[in-house]
Amino acid sequence: MEVLVELERVSKSYEEKAAVRDLTLKIEAGSMFGLLGPNGAGKTSTIRMIVGITLPDAGKVTLFNKPWASASLARVGYLPEERGLYKKMKVIDQLVFLGELRGLGAAEAGRRAKTWCERMQMADSMDKRTEELSKGMQQKIQFIATLLHDPELIIMDEPFSGLDPVNALLLQDTLLELKKQGNAILFSTHRMDQVEKLCDSICLINRGEAVLAGGMREVKSRYERNRVIVQYEGPDGFLQHPAIAEYKSYAGHAEIRLKPHADAQDLLRQAVATTTITKFELVEPSLEEIFIETVGGHADA
Amino acid sequence: MLRNTLLIAKREYLERIRSKVFRITTVLVPVGMAGVAILGGIGGKKMEAGVQNLAVVSNNAELAQQVKAALGNGEHAPKSIEVVTQPTDADIAHLNQQVSDHDIGGYLKIDDEAGQTTPVATWVSGSSTDFIGKSQMESAVTDGLVREQLLQRGMTDGQVKTLMKDVKLNTQQVKNGKAVTSDAERSFAGAYVLILVLYGSVLIYGINIARSVVEEKTSRVFEVLLSTASSDDLMLGKLLGVGATGLTQMGIWALLILGYAGSALAGAQGIHGLNSLGITKVELVFFAIFFLGGFFLYSAMAAALGSSVSGEQEVQQFSFILISPLVVSVVMMMYVMQNPSSPTSVILSLLPPFTPIIMYMRICAQTPPAWQLALSVVLLLGSVLAMVWLAARIYRVGVLMYGKRATLPEMLRWLRYS
Repeated sequence: MEVLVELERVSKSYEEKAAVRDLTLKIEAGSMFGLLGPNGAGKTSTIRMIVGITLPDAGKVTLFNKPWASASLARVGYLPEERGLYKKMKVIDQLVFLGELRGLGAAEAGRRAKTWCERMQMADSMDKRTEELSKGMQQKIQFIATLLHDPELIIMDEPFSGLDPVNALLLQDTLLELKKQGNAILFSTHRMDQVEKLCDSICLINRGEAVLAGGMREVKSRYERNRVIVQYEGPDGFLQHPAIAEYKSYAGHAEIRLKPHADAQDLLRQAVATTTITKFELVEPSLEEIFIETVGGHADA
Repeated sequence: MLRNTLLIAKREYLERIRSKVFRITTVLVPVGMAGVAILGGIGGKKMEAGVQNLAVVSNNAELAQQVKAALGNGEHAPKSIEVVTQPTDADIAHLNQQVSDHDIGGYLKIDDEAGQTTPVATWVSGSSTDFIGKSQMESAVTDGLVREQLLQRGMTDGQVKTLMKDVKLNTQQVKNGKAVTSDAERSFAGAYVLILVLYGSVLIYGINIARSVVEEKTSRVFEVLLSTASSDDLMLGKLLGVGATGLTQMGIWALLILGYAGSALAGAQGIHGLNSLGITKVELVFFAIFFLGGFFLYSAMAAALGSSVSGEQEVQQFSFILISPLVVSVVMMMYVMQNPSSPTSVILSLLPPFTPIIMYMRICAQTPPAWQLALSVVLLLGSVLAMVWLAARIYRVGVLMYGKRATLPEMLRWLRYS
């Protein structure tokens, strides 16, 4: 796979604190990359260095296999965390202007803006002034502006914040579709539950440092499925099985944590032998749990 | 990239031209000006009406007649002047009554007792303010006194008239090695207009640029823009766009004024197009160069100001810094007018912020050497670009620091950044 973005031991510090420390990451074409971490972890600082709004103090940023150059930005779509639009401008004018800035002709930008507005279910708002629209609508305009020039690399800083569930889903579906077309997508979020199903790869950062990085499946596989949820009818003698480290038992429902490298299958066999099992689920740790486990209780969330 | 600059300029220009504020001010300012002119005209007429009737009261009949004649010759000559000689108390009482009834504006009492060296003149009127200027009245009395004395000493009326004729001073100016008849007041009229126009446009449109930069900072549109356009594109585009808006508006006003000046109405009022300013074609070209150069330099300075402050209020607070070189230019004006080629004048005229006004004054006073003219124009235009560049750097750093002050190494790194 072609690597579109590569950060090599990148550092950036502001006066009082290091925002990013020795960060290394890679984003491939046709993949969705999640930059995760609590607020203030250094997500925005990292993204700003990728799009050249700030310069790294040390380290190397490579875009499209070339050292960072502003010319490469024509192939990048960037949605900043702090959204800004010209308030008094008509939506369609705004989109055409931003499209033109990214190299489209005025007519082509207008055509694409129209198509996108229809796709994002806001065709009736095109002739309104931006300040007349709701926050969520404005966010959709920004979203369109980011994608108008059909960038190969899409970078979105907290794209889901402030969207209602319907629009968040719309955005999510659009991103998945773009990924299918071969675009690479990098987005940051502090809400880890959102990215579990979306991301192919992740990089978890905390206090400017990567604490966990890699493919989603690979990251998860590093962590054992050591939690079991059991629903049963009958005696609960199987809860004394040696594989169990601790358990919480409710009426006919037990949440179990296994000992490291314990054999869950043996537990199941014994449980089936002694009682009636209606549900036996080996639960994958969530990203959130992994994160908390990795950084301990020190997350600055 | 030029394309980005033009795109940003175009957006800035169109959004402003289409705005309500633009339409309203374009119409209202000339209407307001015309209103002021009309009110001024009415006020002027009222003033004249006030001095329509007055009386000259004196025990010296000849002197009274001469003062009446002198007052009648004045600029704001009263309509009727009654002469009362050898006034009795009853006459005075009657006059006082007339003043109270507003039949006359007032009366000028001149006591010329024998043995007194100078007569004592008193203006008695209904209001504390003078209808006729004090100096005008004084000169009328003095003038009348001289005429009366001369007549008394046996001169004929004709001789006195010849003797008392005003002498008009003609002035000539050496241009291109030849003495040409010039009009000292008129040749500086152009400079005054330049100062007025430059001052006004910097105050209105220059501050607009600063505001527009601040607005972009606070609305945070810049982050999207900066991921495609450089801050140079952004600053230059803003300068051109907002500048063009100002020029458009001033152009509309200038056309209105020219239309008025060329019209029969103005002709009837004694104004004849551009000629009334006494500006030659060459001066007009320099006027354009120095106005545009000055306008864009001050606008670029405003952009830099906007880049370095964090809010609109600060723009207001610091706008005096922007204006101060103009104020200095105005202060130095008289000096430069009188010493157009002194070292101070030459140096001042070559310093870009002072160039527009000072160099234009010099051109009006005495044609400066060509190299100085050329150098001043080059420096002026160069400083516009340098200012834009600087504004772009300040913007770049200011925008991204989030309140943090940039350290020197950081600044240097940004300066090198393209």
